[in-house]
Amino acid sequence: MVQRLEIGIKKGLADAEGANVRKKAREYFGLSVEDVRVVRVLTIDADLSKEELEAARVKIFTNPVTEESAFGTLARDFDWLIWVGYRPGVRDTAGSTAVEAIEDLLKKKFSAGESIYTSKIFAIKGDLSRQDALTISREILANDIIQQWKVFSKAEWDPGVGIGYIVPKVVLNHEPKVTTIAISSDEELKEISAERNLALQETDIPIIREYFLREDIRKERRKYGLDLPTDVELEYISQARSDHCNHNTFKGLFRYRDLSTGREEVVNNLFKSCIEEPTLQIKERKNWVVSVLWDNAGVARFDANNYYTITGETHNSPSNMEAYGGALTGIVGIYRDPMGTGKGSKLILGMYCYCVGPRNYAGELKPHLHPRRLLDGVIEGVKDGGNKSGVPTPFGQVLFDESYLGKCLVFVTAVGIMPSQVQGQSSHIKTTTPGDVIVMSGGRVGKDGIHGVTAASETFSEHTPAGHVQIGDPYTQKKMHDFLLEARDEGLIAFITDNGGGGLSSSVGESARFSNGCKVDLDKVPLKYEGLDQWEIWISESQERMTIAVKPEHLGRFMELSEKHGVESTVIGEYNDSGYLRLDYNGKTCALVTMDFLQSDFPQWEFDAEWVPPEMRGLKEPVLSEPRDHGKLLKAMLSRPNLCSKNWIPRQYDHEVQGGSVIKPLVGKGRDMPSDAVVLRPVLDSSRGIAVTQALNPFYSKIDTYHMTAITIDEAVRKILVVGGDPHHLGGVDNFCWPTIKFDPVDNPDGRYKAAQLVRSNWALKDYCLAYGIPLLSGKDSMYVDGNLEGPFGERRKVSGLPTFLFTVSSVVEDTEKCVTMDAKFPGDLVYVIGKTRNELGGSECYQMMGEVGLNVPRIEVEKLWPLYLGLHEAIKEGLVASAHAVGRGGLGVHLAMVAMGGDLGMDIDLEKVPGAKLLSPARLLYSESGGRIVVTVNPKNKEAFETIFAHLPVAMVGKTTARPTFRISNHDSSPIIEESIFALKEYWKKPFGNLV
Amino acid sequence: MSPVRAIVLTGFGLNCDYETDYSLRLAGAESRRVHINELIKGTGSRSAESLDHYHILVFGGGFSWADDHGAGVIFASKIKFNIGKEVERFIQQGKLVIGICNGFQALVNMGLLPGFEGNHTDRRVALVPNDSGNFIDTWVNLRVNPKSPCIFTRGVSCIELPVRHGEGKFYAPAKDLERLFDSNQVVLQYADENGNEAGGKWPANPNGSLGDIAGICDSTGRIFGLMPHPEAFHHFTNHPDWVRKREELAHRGKKIEKKEGEGIKIFRNAVEYVREKFNLDPPN
Repeated sequence: MVQRLEIGIKKGLADAEGANVRKKAREYFGLSVEDVRVVRVLTIDADLSKEELEAARVKIFTNPVTEESAFGTLARDFDWLIWVGYRPGVRDTAGSTAVEAIEDLLKKKFSAGESIYTSKIFAIKGDLSRQDALTISREILANDIIQQWKVFSKAEWDPGVGIGYIVPKVVLNHEPKVTTIAISSDEELKEISAERNLALQETDIPIIREYFLREDIRKERRKYGLDLPTDVELEYISQARSDHCNHNTFKGLFRYRDLSTGREEVVNNLFKSCIEEPTLQIKERKNWVVSVLWDNAGVARFDANNYYTITGETHNSPSNMEAYGGALTGIVGIYRDPMGTGKGSKLILGMYCYCVGPRNYAGELKPHLHPRRLLDGVIEGVKDGGNKSGVPTPFGQVLFDESYLGKCLVFVTAVGIMPSQVQGQSSHIKTTTPGDVIVMSGGRVGKDGIHGVTAASETFSEHTPAGHVQIGDPYTQKKMHDFLLEARDEGLIAFITDNGGGGLSSSVGESARFSNGCKVDLDKVPLKYEGLDQWEIWISESQERMTIAVKPEHLGRFMELSEKHGVESTVIGEYNDSGYLRLDYNGKTCALVTMDFLQSDFPQWEFDAEWVPPEMRGLKEPVLSEPRDHGKLLKAMLSRPNLCSKNWIPRQYDHEVQGGSVIKPLVGKGRDMPSDAVVLRPVLDSSRGIAVTQALNPFYSKIDTYHMTAITIDEAVRKILVVGGDPHHLGGVDNFCWPTIKFDPVDNPDGRYKAAQLVRSNWALKDYCLAYGIPLLSGKDSMYVDGNLEGPFGERRKVSGLPTFLFTVSSVVEDTEKCVTMDAKFPGDLVYVIGKTRNELGGSECYQMMGEVGLNVPRIEVEKLWPLYLGLHEAIKEGLVASAHAVGRGGLGVHLAMVAMGGDLGMDIDLEKVPGAKLLSPARLLYSESGGRIVVTVNPKNKEAFETIFAHLPVAMVGKTTARPTFRISNHDSSPIIEESIFALKEYWKKPFGNLV
Repeated sequence: MSPVRAIVLTGFGLNCDYETDYSLRLAGAESRRVHINELIKGTGSRSAESLDHYHILVFGGGFSWADDHGAGVIFASKIKFNIGKEVERFIQQGKLVIGICNGFQALVNMGLLPGFEGNHTDRRVALVPNDSGNFIDTWVNLRVNPKSPCIFTRGVSCIELPVRHGEGKFYAPAKDLERLFDSNQVVLQYADENGNEAGGKWPANPNGSLGDIAGICDSTGRIFGLMPHPEAFHHFTNHPDWVRKREELAHRGKKIEKKEGEGIKIFRNAVEYVREKFNLDPPN
């Protein structure tokens, strides 16, 4: 019998969750909500006696100090009541931990089909209409993709019935079936592909047909009772050939044409020419680069005994649909990459970067989620995913721009560590060998993530799973993480990889290449619910799963450890050297594909790329006179959403767990200034550290993506060096997010230009990685950053995201005790500017504020900058630097102020002394965004030593810090053009998001 | 030849086990991370996974069972309903228990704290969601009650540590709160920079805890629970101001001398107490 346990906070005690709902309802929608009380609901669908249920209620689920509970209805005294629960098939972690707790208490197991479902009741007081209550349900409490809800008015509520008994159990009533697919012509296969959402590439279709019609293949297939291709096989091929798994765009052929010169060039394979080749070249001269370009993450040397692993990716489309779940799944998902690198690494750090529409967007387009709600959801998703994974999330950024209304960007980056040797073997090497068993560990398989977003258009019934949306489960994954590390240390893992895009089809398919074959029994794969077709089991993207190759002699111990950690592991097949990937279901073969088929020559994607230089696009420098009120301008700049304080975000993220925190996300006297980079000590008894940072500057893409990419790399390099990173150890991770580049006269008329932007960006990536000596340890591309948003007249308008390139740099700090932070430390310290300022305000924050783009995009000349960077590194090592800060978005004016605000100190600056000052007006000096610049403060007693290091370089002492908290900028001996209290500036800087927690 | 032995629980979403284990070793203990299931299985046996084998039991930080039904709730029931009696015997033997963050939440849900009248099963106090409604990671100033019997805070009058939690607001009914103060079971209170009580005010009191309470002990002082993380301050570079401090000293021609973090004192007090009480060997 189904029982419903309701638990609420005692009357008279504060309800923090309810208060949050109230606050959002008032702030987002101006609704006059007076009070919200939350009731937690456990719907128990299990055969338990009255006594057993009562024991669970009292002994576990009700805190007698603060809570009351009943098997019945609790809510009373409300105007509106809203119930929110999950749709069938959506991951309900709280439901499964409740089962775990009751099983442990009663020492009895739930039988198959028995379960607990959690949901919530919100009892709301306030003068609200039904429409208001619906708004609260839809816009604050629930997301209809994963949740269902019911609204009751006071009059409709029957306390005897309450919300009733809603059991969101998946019942498919479907007999799994393998279907064969007709391939008598290309057209036929194309039609079937469209019908079944197979998403086969049109150009791949003839190759696929040819394969299945080959006589030798057919002969072999007949032995297994196969003839025409099965849906399992075609789904497998489609996954493996998708842009997501195969990076067809980056491996494509680009016909690049410069429309100003008419020069044409064929660029074959951006991945190979701009990422792989330079990285391999650099690897030759950097012996700390251990393993790159093939595994789930790059591997680099941390110290004599340890390697670190690093990778980054995006989770844009899912976050755009369901912000919380998408972002949570993103961070938890990226954590499986280091876990599946080499023989497996321990997670030590996560990073985030969100690109969204303006938080207060009030324009006429209707994005799927308003940017405010989207950002709130994304922040919360990474918070729960990261914090519950037990991994610090110390670095991140947010960027606002209307171009991200079409689709938001959610970048997630992960760093892990592993011993360089595991039981006498190199940890970065892994392989599968015939005879190894295939084990799947972690979660079970459901309809999650099958065919991605195409499934979103399906209509929901009461018991159809909300399949396409995946909600990550950091709890299950953390248990698996702990288990796998123990298994690794005992030498039980021969090969490990994660199940992400493509699910088993990708993890098993790719790992079987090493042994050259495998056989999987799909019926052995543990399922969340019965009724999945074979192809669904094979490509499902259900989360929290790893695929592991285990030697038969290690299987017993492997399973023992799995049980100890409360992790489900199942043998699903075996690796062999048959040359075939074979899938059986209940003893009958349903797929047989030669291992080399997917390596065969599928046609390369081709793109036309047309570059129109900025001048030809009509870009020019704006005509601006020198402002009269410089103080006002600076304050306006500090309040810009992309420059102002966003401290409410890092404070929600645990950035200190694991105990190695050295340089935190927020630094300075008030512990409130964003740090250029973060540093942590992953090995607690060593003073060696890892430093990481990220940079992105998509606004320069409006002028030229080549220079956008160059300065982004340069900025990341400077940010890592200012904390004490090593210029000889710079690891890179490139993340591209680009709008669609395939030309279409109707849907994508500027596709050729966007393709050229991508080519130019890659050229810069290659040039600057070679110049700085940065191997690309890892990287990911995410295309199709476009959205079609509804306008005020019922029309749809396409909004393409700015070409965006996020660059991550990692470094090793030999002695973390020498690290430096960005805040000014002591009154009377000397302020230096390293690097020349030039007339480069194109794409700058200042121009943006004035509604301009400009033309003079910053340009990076590495040969001029490198000596400065080496000098800075030397000065930091010698202990001559009190603070150092990279000058980025906003320019010198903003960043000098940041350094001063960080120390609660004043500053006296003479602009005329700034390197490059002679050619520039004060406004240009203050707001140009030239690369290569660093602000440093130095203890006066170190003046000589510091200046000796930089002799003959564009480095100048421009002023000093002062105890008087006034930020003072003058131009030679004229009266100051800026004279503002440092605290007033800080107030402007904090104001825009200051009330968020 | 017998060292002070500490056990740090792991598994099921706990996550501060490595640095807690490291901190205990810095403090002179022989410490081990042991999975909760292993402890349950091993307890009563002669193995190193038996609770009897240890002197200091650590319930550390993390998100045990994802904190889904109240932080520390299932962690508490797992221990209580499997090895509750053994834990009680451990306490009766005069050994030490510390619960940090999620571990503190577990101790109050088990009823080990506040342990009025030696009752170790009733829930009398609670750690509820922060007033802000959100998780927070921030460093706090703490004042130590000099009259508290707490073993772990001996010789400490104030300390800075980070808090990292979403459910850290200390709550107890008024009369129990009064009793905690009267019996000096209130060990740690959130304070301002000068060591004065925070008076419930944010940000000095980061979660709205009643009485600014950050940590309590039982009447013997041998069971201690606190929301802040002493293991997160095992080295001077953990402190948010360490670079500023280094530069200030440099101005005076000095260097940072003490590299150990203040948090280690909490663990060292425990180790020294056990060594003395059980007459064990000093560290090498």
